[in-house]
Amino acid sequence: MEVTFIQGALIAIWAMISGLDAWLQAFFIFRPIIVCTITGLILGDLQLGVIAGGLTELAFAGLTPAGGTQPPNTVLTGIMTVVIAYSNKIAPATAIGLSLPFAMLMQYILLFYYSSFSLFLPRFDKYAAEGNAKAFKRLNYIPLTIVTLSFGIVAFLSAYAAQGPMHTLVTSMPHWLTHGFELAGGILPAVGFAMLLKVMLKQQYFPYLLLGFVMASMIPFSNVLPVALVGAVFAMIEFYRTRENDKLAAQIKELKSSGNVNNNGGGGMDDGI
Amino acid sequence: MASDDTTQQTPNKGERKSIFTNHEISMLGIRSNLVQASFSYERMHSPGWTWAQLPYWQKIYKDDPKGLKRVMTDNMEFINSSPPLYPILMGLLLTMEEDHVDPQTIKGLKNALFGPMAGIGDAIFWFTIMPIVGGISASIAKNGNVLGPIIFFLVYLFLFWSRAPLAHLGYNLGARAIDVIEDNSKIISHVASILGLTVIGSLIASYVKMQLTIKIGAGNATINLQKQLLDKIFPNILPFAFVFLLYWLLKKNVNPIWLIVVTFVLAIAMSAIGWM
Repeated sequence: MEVTFIQGALIAIWAMISGLDAWLQAFFIFRPIIVCTITGLILGDLQLGVIAGGLTELAFAGLTPAGGTQPPNTVLTGIMTVVIAYSNKIAPATAIGLSLPFAMLMQYILLFYYSSFSLFLPRFDKYAAEGNAKAFKRLNYIPLTIVTLSFGIVAFLSAYAAQGPMHTLVTSMPHWLTHGFELAGGILPAVGFAMLLKVMLKQQYFPYLLLGFVMASMIPFSNVLPVALVGAVFAMIEFYRTRENDKLAAQIKELKSSGNVNNNGGGGMDDGI
Repeated sequence: MASDDTTQQTPNKGERKSIFTNHEISMLGIRSNLVQASFSYERMHSPGWTWAQLPYWQKIYKDDPKGLKRVMTDNMEFINSSPPLYPILMGLLLTMEEDHVDPQTIKGLKNALFGPMAGIGDAIFWFTIMPIVGGISASIAKNGNVLGPIIFFLVYLFLFWSRAPLAHLGYNLGARAIDVIEDNSKIISHVASILGLTVIGSLIASYVKMQLTIKIGAGNATINLQKQLLDKIFPNILPFAFVFLLYWLLKKNVNPIWLIVVTFVLAIAMSAIGWM
């Protein structure tokens, strides 16, 4: 099924809204689970949007902008996963892999902005030195506008203008290749988890990682809540234990230092007399 | 005094006079969403950080243009912390600005706090809340249930509004917040790491899908490599091993983009030779 011009325009508007949110990180409607759902709604297939949203959210679970790296853009992945699955009638899991080039394109555009927006800084400094609040506020709208429009333009070109070539590409792909993309979509969360581990994993925390892994492998459940609760139990135990330890450590320190003061005081008296 | 009305509304219970209303402090929390407006690598959040607080400084330095210039210039220095925790920092610095504490002290405090707060914020918001909320809502959504995205949206809407009480917290604690943050930052990120890693362990098992479909042998003697060998050793052993391979590559400073490339090459190769 084709994406109509109106649908393409609506997707562009949605990309601007969620893209602005991705830039500011305010409402988190830039995460794939929301982006896919709304894109599905625009295309008239809410069900597809929700399913694609769940799968894409998982694939991007650990790909977060924390820790200094800018991951492939979630807005473009979300939009293009649904668009590709919708217009080519393929499984969302396969479409995730095909949407990735678009997400990387947007990622590189944002990286370019992160570097080039420092050009605005001398201007900001000037207005700050003058105490010109009005001009300072106004200047902030320029980067915001550039980012918002970029999202709209890239999304429109990807979702509407590129669908012909995309369709040719998808239909000409042999089965082993589409199946490969589907597999990659299933393995992709590993990249995100590895990135999370790089930031979070210290030797002392490895037992908890193993605990969560073994629980999820052995006990059948439909979401991570039970494991999260067990994790919370250990977190609480550690919380009270650490607090108690800190209190004891503080008391010992106090006792030691008060002992020192007495000794010094005594010594001083002796010297003085 | 013009501020008599507002003093009674302040949450300080008459301990000190405030020129800001309750509503204005709440709005400071909401305005903290602007910090990334003009993000650049050079000074990160500073233009947005300054923009968010500008109306408040204008009120404090209504009759003191020099003071306004000074505070704006001071805040254009580098700052980079965790966005959801900015309301606390803004609140406590605003109290001090309002009390006309020495600017050097305020600046020093800001620089001392934003780093540790970035660590706590990332541990809580990206590494604990995101995997849990994202994991739960995505597992509901992938079966086509629209409750998945709705739950996700509501949780993050709640976190959005929680910025208002956080701003009050920082504003009311004032300089005392420093002790609270310093005393608790270690224990909070410790506890968040425990919870986060337990969840990540379970996510590796549930969401990384790697299953061999190859059978070896001939005739009646064929064995299914996945079901009759790997699953007997330990289920999900392949996902666990692959995550740690990628982790090892990251530790060797391999760019994350290459990890994505490796994943795709592996998946397509496995598909082409019919192993998966």
